[in-house]
Amino acid sequence: MLQALLLGCIAFIGKCDLATGTNMIQRPIVLGPLVGLVLGDLKLGVQIGVILELAFLGQVSVGAYIPPNVIVGGVLGTAFAITTGGGAEIAFTMAFPIALLAQAIDNVMFSVVRPMLGRLADKYADQGNVKAITAVHMGTGFLTCTVLFLITFFGFWLGGAQIQAIVDSIPPGITKGLSIASGMLPALGFAMLARMVMNKQVVPFFFLGFLLSAYFSIPVVGIACLGIIAVFLKIDFTTNNNTSIEAEGGVDDDDF
Amino acid sequence: MTTSNQPIKENGVITKKDLKRMFWRSLPMEFSWHYERQMHMGFCSMISKGLEKIYKNDKEKLKEALKRNLEFFNITPHISTFVGGITLAMEEMNVNNEDFDTNSINSVKAALMGPLSGIGDSILLGTLRILAVGIGASLAAQGNVLGPILFLLIFNVPAFILRYVCAMKGYELGATYLHKIQSSGLMQKFMYAAGILGTMVIGGMTNELVSVNMALQIGSGDSATLIQDVLDGILPGMLALVVMGVYYKLLDKKVNVMWLLIGTALLGIVCAQFGILG
Repeated sequence: MLQALLLGCIAFIGKCDLATGTNMIQRPIVLGPLVGLVLGDLKLGVQIGVILELAFLGQVSVGAYIPPNVIVGGVLGTAFAITTGGGAEIAFTMAFPIALLAQAIDNVMFSVVRPMLGRLADKYADQGNVKAITAVHMGTGFLTCTVLFLITFFGFWLGGAQIQAIVDSIPPGITKGLSIASGMLPALGFAMLARMVMNKQVVPFFFLGFLLSAYFSIPVVGIACLGIIAVFLKIDFTTNNNTSIEAEGGVDDDDF
Repeated sequence: MTTSNQPIKENGVITKKDLKRMFWRSLPMEFSWHYERQMHMGFCSMISKGLEKIYKNDKEKLKEALKRNLEFFNITPHISTFVGGITLAMEEMNVNNEDFDTNSINSVKAALMGPLSGIGDSILLGTLRILAVGIGASLAAQGNVLGPILFLLIFNVPAFILRYVCAMKGYELGATYLHKIQSSGLMQKFMYAAGILGTMVIGGMTNELVSVNMALQIGSGDSATLIQDVLDGILPGMLALVVMGVYYKLLDKKVNVMWLLIGTALLGIVCAQFGILG
């Protein structure tokens, strides 16, 4: 029980990685030794941690990609490896359903709960309340830390088999549906941004960027470089250098 | 060199101390990440103290500034301070310049976030992290606690230095160039250019980061064809474009974003149930 609590705390601290500058304390190579310390075998903790680190090497959040939950997987994988005395692989098989459960909960947080909290931040912006925006921002993060604490705590306490039963009882339509929704949601963010940035004059460039990416798979860095060329083709910076703004005015005034 | 309590630029209010503060406030950048607007709260929170100072005499403008900086933002978190610095420089310009089009602030942010993420991810997460794992892992495999410690140091020392330098340089660059642009009368052209670049990058990111896939097929058995394959043959990412267009229109019609969020979740579940999307 005490061990389960402490392991939960490790998961909590691991998630605080994102509060302290994405400094990689959430990785199994760091959390493994901590788990080892709690369970009384530091050396084994370090060794299992590194095995899981290498297994999870590709699982890092890049862009909008959210990996299976490395924190829960790492902490419980190491913990089961030490308590069962089995290798990291067998232990990880035990930890995997729990990591999946954590990922499913992450998905609910990222696609439903947190966007709603984002609306709350908008409301405080409307009131000019700077402190409250930061409070919502930090609260949102700590909420997830707490959820991870609970998953890890119950995961270690109940064991992999019990969790598997819980995972199996979630209708697949719901998890699948939320993962579909999570693929669409960035479009909403872009639509909101585009409504501020776009005006009639620059709409074609939205499609240019989209088509370059869609047909030619050019990464965004390349699109920005081509964008700079487009700017120079479109706008003549060499003339009118000394004329006033009024003389060339009206360039940007037909927003819709 | 100015002392840390003096404004860095004439007519400005942002001091070195403010930028240091922004550096510290940038640490939880990813803490409240979500699919829809991603790091928007982190970004707004990072620069909010600076905004408060810039707009200390105008509460209405402060509200607007907070709202526009709560729009979509995503970047490699360790270099977020660079965009933060540039944004503060532009907000400062906005106070002193009646003609400044505030939409160009978001254009510049959009134009920067995509490319900088591409570069930042490959340098920090792709290279530096792998290097740190490589060195840390060989020690850790023998059960040596120095392994994890080295891992953290190799990754974090450069990452933190970079984050700090980006905060200072971002503001400096932004302020210096904006001043030059303004004094040479190119501000209108600059804002138009930012609009083009920002819009184009948003277009690219829409294809890259939005994913919608049809799971339906035509015909059955061996002759079955996935509709998605047909769509990809016409225009890859077509559905992402459609979804973005629908959101855009609905936002134009002033539909509450809360309903759009709930609707998206329900639509996802329904489409999964009937195997329409996958």
